[in-house]
Amino acid sequence: MGDPVTSTPARGRGELEREVLACVAAAPGPVTANDVLADLGGGLAYTTVMTTLARLESKGVLTRSMPGRAYAYSLVGDPGQVEEALAAHRMRRVLDSRGDRASVLARFVAELSAEDEQTLRTLLADADAGPGGTS
Amino acid sequence: MGAAASMLTPLVVGVILALAGRRLGDLLPPATAVPLLTLASLVTALSTGFVLAVAGFDALAQLPVVASAGTWSARIVAAREPVPLALGAACALACVALMGAALRRFVSSGRDLAVAAAACRRLGRGTDGLIVLADETPDAYALPGLSGRVVISTGMLRALPAAERRVLLAHEAAHLRHRHHLYVQVAELSAAANPLLRPLAGAVASAVERWADEDAAQAVGERTVVARAVARASLAAQCGGTSRISTTGVGTRVALRVADTFALARTKAMLAPAPEPHRALTATVLALMIAGAVAAIDTGSHTEHLFEMARAATITSS
Repeated sequence: MGDPVTSTPARGRGELEREVLACVAAAPGPVTANDVLADLGGGLAYTTVMTTLARLESKGVLTRSMPGRAYAYSLVGDPGQVEEALAAHRMRRVLDSRGDRASVLARFVAELSAEDEQTLRTLLADADAGPGGTS
Repeated sequence: MGAAASMLTPLVVGVILALAGRRLGDLLPPATAVPLLTLASLVTALSTGFVLAVAGFDALAQLPVVASAGTWSARIVAAREPVPLALGAACALACVALMGAALRRFVSSGRDLAVAAAACRRLGRGTDGLIVLADETPDAYALPGLSGRVVISTGMLRALPAAERRVLLAHEAAHLRHRHHLYVQVAELSAAANPLLRPLAGAVASAVERWADEDAAQAVGERTVVARAVARASLAAQCGGTSRISTTGVGTRVALRVADTFALARTKAMLAPAPEPHRALTATVLALMIAGAVAAIDTGSHTEHLFEMARAATITSS
C-alpha cells in the first residue's frame, strides 16, 4: 500500500518547478530540501530539489531563512498583488455583465467614501499625466 | 432526392446526435470525442441554420413585393416550393431568432475569453504558468489566455498528498495545452444556434475533463492516483464552501474548474481501463455530420434551380 510513486515518468524542468512550488505552498510552515524530497519522493535527486528551490527563490516566488543547519523555504507573502489583480478583474467582470455600464459606474462613484473618491481622483490624474493617454 | 427530405435531414441528424451525445462521450476516448463532437455540432448547427434560412427565403420569395424586386415569378416559386408558406415564415422567424442567439453567444464568449486573457496578463507569468493563491478555500482552475495560467489556492494544495497534487497540476496544464476552452465555447455556440444540440455541448464539457484526466494519468503513470485525486479535490472544493474566487469568478464562464459536476463519472472512468478507440462509431458520427451538410447543400442547389426557373418565367411572359 502507500503511495507507489516509485516508477513514475520523468518530469520536465518547468513541471518540477511547479511541483516543488506546490509542495512548499502546501506545507504548514517553512520546509527544507529534505522535507520536499521526502514529500515528493519517487526518483528525485537531492541536488535537483536543492537547485529547483534555489531557482524559485531567485525568481522571487519563495523566500528562504536558516533556522537550523539548512535553508528553509516558504511561499513569498506577496499574494497582495495577485489578489489586487483578481479583485480588479472581478469588478470589471461585474461591470461587463450589466448592459448599462455608465449608470452602474455612476452609482458606484456616487456611493464611494470621501477617501475612496480622493484615491480615485489621484489615480485618474496619474493616468492622464502618464503616457497611456486617456483610454 | 426529394427537396423536403433534404431539408429535414440536418434536423434528423441533430436529433440523433442529441440523443446519442452523452453515450458517445462515454464510449469514445475523450481525446477523440472532444474534437469529433465539437466538429459534428458545429457542422450540424450550420447545416440546420442554412436549411432554415433557405426555407425562410423561399417563403418570403412568394410575396409579390419581394418577387417583383427580385424579378422572379411568385407563382412559379409558390407552385414548386416544397415548404408551405406558413411553415416557411416560421422557419424565417426561427432562423432570425437563432442567429441572434448565436451572435449574442459569440460576442459573450469572445468577451469572456478576452477578459480571462487580460486577467492572465495581469497575474504575470507565475512559475511556469502556475499561480498559487494564498487562500484557504480549496479551488483550482485553468484560466485561458495566449499562454494561460493555472490558478490553485493553498487550501486545495493542502487538501492533497504529493502524488495527487501532481495529478492536479497535470490536469490543469492539459486544459491549457490542448486549448480545451475553445472546444467548449464552440460547442456552446453551436448549441445556441441549434438548441437541439444542447446535450452535445454537455458531452463536450464533460469529455474535456476526462481528456485532462487521461493526460494526467499519462503524466503520473497510474490511473488510480488520478481517480483518488479527482475524488479528493472535488470533495475538498465542495466541503470548503464557496470560495471568494469562484463565486465572483475570474472569467468563471470560460475557466475550467477542477471540481465540476462530473466528478463521480470521472472517478469511475479512471478506475476502469482507458477507453479503446472506436473506429466504427467515429466513422458513423462523421457520416451523419456529412449527410446533414450534403443535404443542406442539396437544398441550396435545389432552391437555386427553382429560382432560375422562376426568373425564366418572368422573362418569357414579359
